[in-house]
Amino acid sequence: MSIQIKSSLNAITLTALFALASCATHIEVTGAFPRAISEQLPINSVLVFDNAFRTYKFEVYEGKEVSIAVGQTQVDLFTVVANSMFEATTVADAMPTSSKADLIVVPNVEDVQISIPYSSQLKVFEVWIKYNLQVFGPDGEPIADWIMTAYGKTPTKFLKSDGEALNQAAIVALRDAGAHFIIGFARVPEISQWLDGKRLRSGGQSHVAL
Amino acid sequence: MNSQLSLTTAYIAAALFLIFSTSCTTTTVDKYHETNLKLNLTGSDNIVVLGRRHYSDYETEPDFIACIGKRLVKGKNIGVISEPAFMDSVYPWFEPRTAPLGLKRLNKMLNEPMIAKPIHAQNIRYMIWIDGSTQTTDKEGSVSCAIGPGGGGCFGFATWEKEAVYEAIIWDLNSITENGRVKVNAKGSSYMIAIGLPIPIIAQVQDQACEGIGDQLKTFFAS
Repeated sequence: MSIQIKSSLNAITLTALFALASCATHIEVTGAFPRAISEQLPINSVLVFDNAFRTYKFEVYEGKEVSIAVGQTQVDLFTVVANSMFEATTVADAMPTSSKADLIVVPNVEDVQISIPYSSQLKVFEVWIKYNLQVFGPDGEPIADWIMTAYGKTPTKFLKSDGEALNQAAIVALRDAGAHFIIGFARVPEISQWLDGKRLRSGGQSHVAL
Repeated sequence: MNSQLSLTTAYIAAALFLIFSTSCTTTTVDKYHETNLKLNLTGSDNIVVLGRRHYSDYETEPDFIACIGKRLVKGKNIGVISEPAFMDSVYPWFEPRTAPLGLKRLNKMLNEPMIAKPIHAQNIRYMIWIDGSTQTTDKEGSVSCAIGPGGGGCFGFATWEKEAVYEAIIWDLNSITENGRVKVNAKGSSYMIAIGLPIPIIAQVQDQACEGIGDQLKTFFAS
């Protein structure tokens, strides 16, 4: 009798665990980014990644429970991209009070949205990230502040888990953020004006904008 | 006893019927050559196969692109650069946001030395763009599974149809011209029968499309 009860409990526990595991997706986005092809601006920059940015996690509990931690991976992306774009880049945890740098760049995550086949009925996993990019001068005076959106998607695949697919979609979105940042940086009117004022823009930079 | 035997016979007959009546995929391939001449590939020249990813409702599958690359290499002396390696080498200029959709923009990009340099360094002579996807077009029936203390099992019958539609366009990076196109349309039905254990009989629609498009692309090249 006790063996029967034990096996019943095991079956219930197994079923419950299976049901729970199939309902929730928690991922920490991992991936590497290549060095970007970009004309290096003769700028000494400081990238400020505050704690909120470094540990950013998107969570949704309606319907299917999903959480995506993009913090460390987006720090890696912006560091790689800035190293490709600027002659010198240093990274800081907080806004420096005074700096010898030409520019201080502060990225913030405004919003993250995801779409999964479970809710959208489309055969793709999608990730949107909305960034607010703030650029300051060496003394902390604001130069520019703009919104940059990034998008990534990946198709569903037989036997591919939701976590794997969302990780891939998030990496595509982060690569898109890098592409947008590189191409769009000098096109932001205030930055363009600042570059022209400093005579820092070479002929190639506008050409690369294609 | 008799009814058990007839059930087993019916089950085996149904499984055999499905095995022999499925795995049927119909593939139609159309190709268009700009000229009758074969495309030249010298010993060091390479090809890169890339997927179009800028549409919102579908995405050309990365594994389909890898499959075509493998198919091109098979039996021919063709060098193929993998899509992820190429994308990394020219980042961010061939991302969905930035990739050239036409020859005019490609020409502009190749006139930019810093973008052209890594492309030339990999000896890429031809760029093949693949656009399309494999979709489930129809679904019928259902299979239910249950698990309990005494065991588990599945029961039911389900069928679904898949269609793979892809187009390949070949660009010559030396002359900045289009050399030809290959279109493939593959359709197939898959089945799942479950009496206790589920038996899936899957039509390899995407694999057939890859085979069709890959083999036709090979005929474009001289080597």
